[in-house]
Amino acid sequence: MSFEEARLIFKLIRVNPISMTGLIIVTAFVVMGLLAPYITPYPEDAWGLTYNIEKRYLPPSLEHPFGTDEMGRDVFSRVILGARFSLLISVGVVGLALLIGIPIGLVAGYLGGRAGTLLMRITDMFLAFPPLLLAIALAATLGRGLVNVIIALAISWWPWYSRLVYVQVNSIKNLPYVDAAKIIGLSPFKIMVRHVLPNALTPVTVQAALDMGSAILEAAGLSFLGVGVKPPTPEWGLLVSEGWATINIAWWSSLFPGLAILVTVIGFNLLADAVREAMDPRLRKAIVMRRL
Amino acid sequence: MPVSKEYIIKRTFSLIGVVFGATIITFIITRVVPTRPELLWAGPHATLEQIERAREILHLNDPIYVQLGYYLRDLLTGNWGVSWRTKSPVLPGILSALPATLELIIVAFIIAMAIGIPLGIVAALKRGTVIDHVLRVVTVIGASAPVFWLALISQLIFSSWLGVLPSAKRINELLVIETGFHPITGFYLIDSLIQGNIPAFTDALRHIILPAIVLSFYPMCLSARMTRALMIEVLNEWHVRSALAWGLPKRIVLYKYALKNVIAPVVASLGLSFGYTIIGAFMVELVFVWPGIGMYAAMSLLSFDYPAVVGCVLFIAIFYTLINTVVDIIHAIIDPRVKL
Repeated sequence: MSFEEARLIFKLIRVNPISMTGLIIVTAFVVMGLLAPYITPYPEDAWGLTYNIEKRYLPPSLEHPFGTDEMGRDVFSRVILGARFSLLISVGVVGLALLIGIPIGLVAGYLGGRAGTLLMRITDMFLAFPPLLLAIALAATLGRGLVNVIIALAISWWPWYSRLVYVQVNSIKNLPYVDAAKIIGLSPFKIMVRHVLPNALTPVTVQAALDMGSAILEAAGLSFLGVGVKPPTPEWGLLVSEGWATINIAWWSSLFPGLAILVTVIGFNLLADAVREAMDPRLRKAIVMRRL
Repeated sequence: MPVSKEYIIKRTFSLIGVVFGATIITFIITRVVPTRPELLWAGPHATLEQIERAREILHLNDPIYVQLGYYLRDLLTGNWGVSWRTKSPVLPGILSALPATLELIIVAFIIAMAIGIPLGIVAALKRGTVIDHVLRVVTVIGASAPVFWLALISQLIFSSWLGVLPSAKRINELLVIETGFHPITGFYLIDSLIQGNIPAFTDALRHIILPAIVLSFYPMCLSARMTRALMIEVLNEWHVRSALAWGLPKRIVLYKYALKNVIAPVVASLGLSFGYTIIGAFMVELVFVWPGIGMYAAMSLLSFDYPAVVGCVLFIAIFYTLINTVVDIIHAIIDPRVKL
């Protein structure tokens, strides 16, 4: 994506209030994730290290906007710190999936032939599992923990990216400039990495950045099923699941973490829609004509 | 008939290939990835003796390809291991839970189509109006909401606070005894109708409504979104525009000429969202104590019942592949535009 193109996409997002909402939510989420430990009102509560017996099950109030849970911990603080773990997981999952998916798609697409087909068949095998199912199996094998969640999700995630890169590389590798590179005697490795990859990278990285919302959602699902992060990590899915036991006494300790997931994922989805629309030349023309 | 015999044969072969691939991946995950698989298979409270037995059952003293051979033989002969939570074989456990899950998913898909498609049509016809915007917001929420959270919150509101719907299980146990209801097919809605047992039917219906609606939320939003997009596209096509120009009544043009082009792809995409829905069923069943595969799997996960978890994963992967193949073939049969 050229700088010009990025600017146009940003322009298209800015004029559309719905897309702008998405951008604001995502920005707020990232900022919250980065600053979380410094802005929580009750840092010890946020890390889950405290047990305040006299403050159990307090309903939402000015002092505790999201109430307190069964351990008397401030739910608001835990939700804010949760943003950091969700950010960590989503960046980790998407980054690791790209790290696996891009090379496989690149090699399979560029080499083609038997080797390429074999690589793509392996990719298809992974796609035979419904999303999240493979991650569940892996997480159950590896055990609970932040790193294991990232590994489990990334391994069920990369095939999508290698498919995307594969398709891109296939359409690029027969362009005249690649032939020219071959004629002057560059090594296949150099052609792949230096000349084909940069042109195939944009769609997959954009897609990956926008997939972070789904990564948050799936990590929360793993936590809910008991194969996610370890308690007392304030991961949003785990917070909902912990609040479940006392939902009839203190509904707020489940409601608000879930709301945080919902709002964040909505932000990513709105932004994804906007970027997809802006990158589709047909739609782009229509939007430009209508709005600008 | 656009589907050739060759295509179906080819798909069947590729289906077998994919299922084989999925079993290999499961084998790698369960036997190669862990450093000591026997510990996982024996469970967290296993004695040394049990661990030694697990080693024997898994043939861990043999080379890896021999292990794979035994593994495939066991799978084919239906020997999927013993759950240490229920102390009974895994495969029969899964199969006995299957009807409950299928009933839930089928009802969810019926709700999704019955509400999603009309909403999509309305949104397409009233494009740019308030209705369209509201529907857009709802569909975005549907794609973003964690299903387990929706389940918890709706259970809280409709069962605990309002008390209008039951919060758990498939049917009232007391009613089962009173009316002499007994399962035949395992689909309680059908069973109660066969027996002419109206109180049992209403009760089963009341139990299924809440979990089914929660589970249907994602596919409903998906179908509404797709219907809207496809409908807008179709309404701009020549055959629809000329039909309108000829002065045919709008209703006939819409439902006879436009909708025909929309339904097949929407139903196909719903079929493909099956994989997402069945994982959603894990969580919805867990929350609503619905005794299906999802709850079996979720309970196994929560109690670290490894053989049962692996069995569920494999079973669902195979089932999912099967459904995808069937959906593709049916889609090709009903939609002549699909090229094979």
